[in-house]
Amino acid sequence: MTMLRVRDVTVRFGGIVALDGISLDLNRGEILGLIGPNGAGKTTMFNCISGVVRPDRGSIYFDSRSLTYAPPHVRARLGIARTFQNLQLWGSMTVEENLMVPMDAMGRRNTFSDALYLPFSQYAERASDERARAILHVLDLGRYRNTLAGDLPAGIQRRVEIARALAMRPRLLLLDEPAAGLDAKETVHLAGLLHAVRERFHVSMLLVDHDMSLVMRVCDYVYVLDFGKLLAKGQPAAIRNDPKVIAAYLGEESKKLTGEVRTVASPRNDEPPLLEVADLAAGYGGLEVIRDVNMTVRPGEVVACIGANGAGKTTTLRAISGMIHPRRGRITFAGKSVGGRPAERIARLGLIHIPEGRGLFPRVSVDDTLRLVSNTAGSEVDIAPAYQLFPKLRQRRHQLVGTLSGGEQQMVALARAILSRPRLVMIDEMSQGLAPTVVRQLFEIIRVFREQGIAVLLVEQFVESALDVADRAYVFEHGTVGHTGSAAELRSDRKLVAGSYLGTAVDDVPVVAANGNGNGHKLDPSLLETVSVRIPAKVKRALEQRAEGEGRAAGAIVVDLLEKVNDR
Amino acid sequence: MTSRLMVRIAIALVAFAVLARIPVGFDVGFQFDAALAVIWAFGLLSLVLLTGYVGQISLCQATFAGVGAYAAGMMVASFHADYLVAVAAGVAAAFALGVIVGLPALRLHGITLAIVTLGIALVFDRYVFQDHAFEWFTGGSGGWRVGEATMFGLRMDSSKNLMAAYVVLLALFCLVGLLMVNLHDSGAGRRFRAIRDSELAAATMGVNLTRYKLLAFGMSAGIAGLGGSFYPLVAGSVSPQPFWLFTSLQFAAIAVLMGVRYVPAAALGGIFMAVVPDVLTRFGHGTLFGRPYEISYDWFSIAVGVLLIIQLIVLPDGVWGDLRTKALHTWSTARALGTRKVKVA
Repeated sequence: MTMLRVRDVTVRFGGIVALDGISLDLNRGEILGLIGPNGAGKTTMFNCISGVVRPDRGSIYFDSRSLTYAPPHVRARLGIARTFQNLQLWGSMTVEENLMVPMDAMGRRNTFSDALYLPFSQYAERASDERARAILHVLDLGRYRNTLAGDLPAGIQRRVEIARALAMRPRLLLLDEPAAGLDAKETVHLAGLLHAVRERFHVSMLLVDHDMSLVMRVCDYVYVLDFGKLLAKGQPAAIRNDPKVIAAYLGEESKKLTGEVRTVASPRNDEPPLLEVADLAAGYGGLEVIRDVNMTVRPGEVVACIGANGAGKTTTLRAISGMIHPRRGRITFAGKSVGGRPAERIARLGLIHIPEGRGLFPRVSVDDTLRLVSNTAGSEVDIAPAYQLFPKLRQRRHQLVGTLSGGEQQMVALARAILSRPRLVMIDEMSQGLAPTVVRQLFEIIRVFREQGIAVLLVEQFVESALDVADRAYVFEHGTVGHTGSAAELRSDRKLVAGSYLGTAVDDVPVVAANGNGNGHKLDPSLLETVSVRIPAKVKRALEQRAEGEGRAAGAIVVDLLEKVNDR
Repeated sequence: MTSRLMVRIAIALVAFAVLARIPVGFDVGFQFDAALAVIWAFGLLSLVLLTGYVGQISLCQATFAGVGAYAAGMMVASFHADYLVAVAAGVAAAFALGVIVGLPALRLHGITLAIVTLGIALVFDRYVFQDHAFEWFTGGSGGWRVGEATMFGLRMDSSKNLMAAYVVLLALFCLVGLLMVNLHDSGAGRRFRAIRDSELAAATMGVNLTRYKLLAFGMSAGIAGLGGSFYPLVAGSVSPQPFWLFTSLQFAAIAVLMGVRYVPAAALGGIFMAVVPDVLTRFGHGTLFGRPYEISYDWFSIAVGVLLIIQLIVLPDGVWGDLRTKALHTWSTARALGTRKVKVA
């Protein structure tokens, strides 16, 4: 009954513990969701199951066969198929050929008989061809059969990825962010499609996605990871209202009073906007990630962009700073149209972009990194003010940037930005991977920026801290701006913000007491297996939950129930 | 499916019939060029498989051809074997070396793999083909002299029966080329191309990367070795010079120039590689507008470099690849218009 069983899996990358003793169970016929904020370890878990990453400790069983050391193609033969977040279709092959590769990789085929066109090969060829047509028909892809996969739009490529995975006749389908880059309507369509796929192909699924609206719609059961640990598990409705989960996504609820008076000068609303973005659309390859984005930043204002991962925040920043070419729309900075200009020209106008991962040169010393600013400024820049602002960096001035801690590196990036005398600084995920105390220090720096009259556009996953420092915020949803408002407004309307992360319609579902949120696995798997009669996945989950609630083994509850039936 | 196979067989037969006739009536020098062109075409065909189908980079294809040539030369000179046996030995030796070279390719990609294969070419060039320690294999500084060779019991003497060797070579090329085209559309070909487009996806979709990468390297080396093993028969002897590092680089350059994904491009490239330098040295001196000029062989490398730059800008899929696409496009447009004026095979 339990199809995939993961026990105490631990993965370390260098000193970082990406997964810390995670256990999870996937029952036959179930669609299981795996969610969590950035850096929670979802992708690592996914890669462990699909065989890309090997766990340091722990075990993974699929139908009671150990997967821990099985190479990817062996997993494929056992019936585990996967899709890829970043679309790994074979672009120079037709859609049909894409489906036929996994089909005949599963069967016994011979290279030489293939080259010689022996009848045996031709027979296998015809069989594969027919199955490919059947799958394409079900997924409504029939008319793209002979199109090169690389020429299709991204939304359809996602469907082809699912079709290709189904071509392997899998029993377990691993879906890596299938909703990435889809808009709200397409996401709804995808949810329906996944249910249809389960009905027709009898596959179980493990779904990793940032898009909570998909997870809530599709999944039978959800595991939530945070910082490599299991934070919660339960039915989607319960998860959505679990305060721990909401906190993990939004950061700790701010202790500050919402109406706190600010000492700093309020933004000058009378002045013309410094940055104006109108109807912006941009994307990568066939993927259009953002559309119809409208926003303004006034001089000296701190504006935050918040929203779930994959909502298009980073892409918006990239399009503004010229790192990617906008497809449509206008971008005006300081009265000049900058849309589609080269990035270095835009930087010279005083718009500095600190990208995710900080964009530093790891093998250059702190001193030299700061002196590099002179290149953009055109004249020798005095780097002393930077050290006054960040005294810690003065001690480390001759150290290579790559050897600094994450927080110090972020300081170098901020110092570099401030030295170039910008009018607007855009910071992408400043606090990613940093400890809360360090994050607090960095947010203090943002206040310094504001005092110096520098406007700041923040993209931030710690919503609460971002709202503390910002004047206004834009809430991104599905590649466009969903809501906008002052920081104070948004902070008080926590539900609205939570909705953008955990799927809207928070109110629709009655609040179910969060259950099963302990990390300890109380179930006794061996007992569970002894009563592994064929029962639907939902019933089994109910049993497990009851078992956990009562603190007994699920097997014992089943025995109880069976006895009751016998009594009648 | 079968009708497509028939068309391909017909094209191969026509190509064979036409190409076999061309060198007749020319002097021995051109006939030698023709045979050499097929040998180089095999080298380029090996890259069509390895780079064009599987997406792996190799800068030591001439080494594989050289190993084939020396192995064949050794079989004939030391063991007086039938030339058919010698060719089989050459292919087998090259295949084995190819599988060994493929081992690092299981871990390496792109530029690092290119450097490793370059190193292998350099090592074989300097320390195997030209070293005393391997005289049993290379026949010493003079190389193997293959004076009298027989194939199917028939005499195949290089000086007198060059055309016979050419026809056999050409027939083999047409056959292997046909198999390669078939392979492209077959299951194995799809798995090869899957590795080229995304190794990650191929592995997770059940393609055994180890097996197919090693197979690709072995088959590719075998094809290069098949061409190389005819070199002693055509040239009468084996020397390290034709199989040095520079030839490997030339293979890579010309394969890209002509279109690395297409079998006919290999034939085109082989002709280009063998005939153009000879034409340059033959007619490359004289007087033009009263001034004497002299074009040496060096001009060939310069020409290849310049052509490569132009091609990468104008015809990114190679000369054959882009012209083919354009021709197919014109044809389909013409057919859509209902006119039957434009006909391109």
